[in-house]
Amino acid sequence: MNNDEQFEQHLRRQPLRHMPSAWRDEVLAAANAAAGSRPSTLDARPVSWWRELCWPHPAAWAALAGVWLVMLGVQFASREASPQSFARQTPPSPQLRELLKQQVQLFAELVGPRENQEADRPKPVAPQPRSSRREEMLNA
Amino acid sequence: MAADFQLDRLFDEHAQALFAFLLNFTRDEEDARDVLQELFVKLARQPGLLRGVQDERAFLLRLAHNAAIDLMRRRRSRAAVNVKYGEQRVALFAADGDPDAAAFRAELSAGLAELPPDQRAVVHLKLWEGLTFEQIAATLDIPLNTAASRYRYGLDKLRARLRPIYEEIQ
Repeated sequence: MNNDEQFEQHLRRQPLRHMPSAWRDEVLAAANAAAGSRPSTLDARPVSWWRELCWPHPAAWAALAGVWLVMLGVQFASREASPQSFARQTPPSPQLRELLKQQVQLFAELVGPRENQEADRPKPVAPQPRSSRREEMLNA
Repeated sequence: MAADFQLDRLFDEHAQALFAFLLNFTRDEEDARDVLQELFVKLARQPGLLRGVQDERAFLLRLAHNAAIDLMRRRRSRAAVNVKYGEQRVALFAADGDPDAAAFRAELSAGLAELPPDQRAVVHLKLWEGLTFEQIAATLDIPLNTAASRYRYGLDKLRARLRPIYEEIQ
């Protein structure tokens, strides 16, 4: 046995201190009292599940959750500032109204008055025999 | 009640080892007691926690280690915790009438206090629980090589610190 092993053996032989004897009753009393007020398994299961999942690296999980929240916030903010919602929220300016009015008038002039539209419409045609051949045959 | 009997048995069989580990790891008797009580409260609330567990001692040591880590994280500052734990002079070993033996144990306790908690946990489990590196790796949830290297570094520091007094009493 070399010196290193002897040293380890010597450390192993050092007796550890005993726990205070009063602790047994105190700890078990507290445990039994807690067992009496045991929460339902339905309540405890999700908490312990989350705890088991996040325990090794809680800071990493918290950082990931933070990144998700930031992304959600950015997405929400960009949606708020979209052109559609902007147009819906702000009334058009008087200049814009005037311009729109002019465009409507110009369009009306280009299309023409309503009477012309009526004139352009095709006239109703009276029903005619599909063929005059039958009449010719009868006359002959 | 069966649950009470189970708790009594678990306490009688494992509490002393859990206490020694927690006292060495936290270097604070009140913290060791708090974690021990928290552990048994958990066992009382979840009687099925040990169902299917083959090595109760290793499993309970793992729960105790995790609870002690949680306790350390609950502290406001990790640096402050380390300073506090480093300054603590806990009676880790049994008292001895022989002054040489008492001096060696006091020096060993001080040397353990100077180790980082990770190394201290491995050294404790190896020397005073007699666990293999595989069991230590599983208990502390670390790779096997990490367990072995932490033990080697920790033991080297203890050897360097204790060599004078060790050679004197040999």
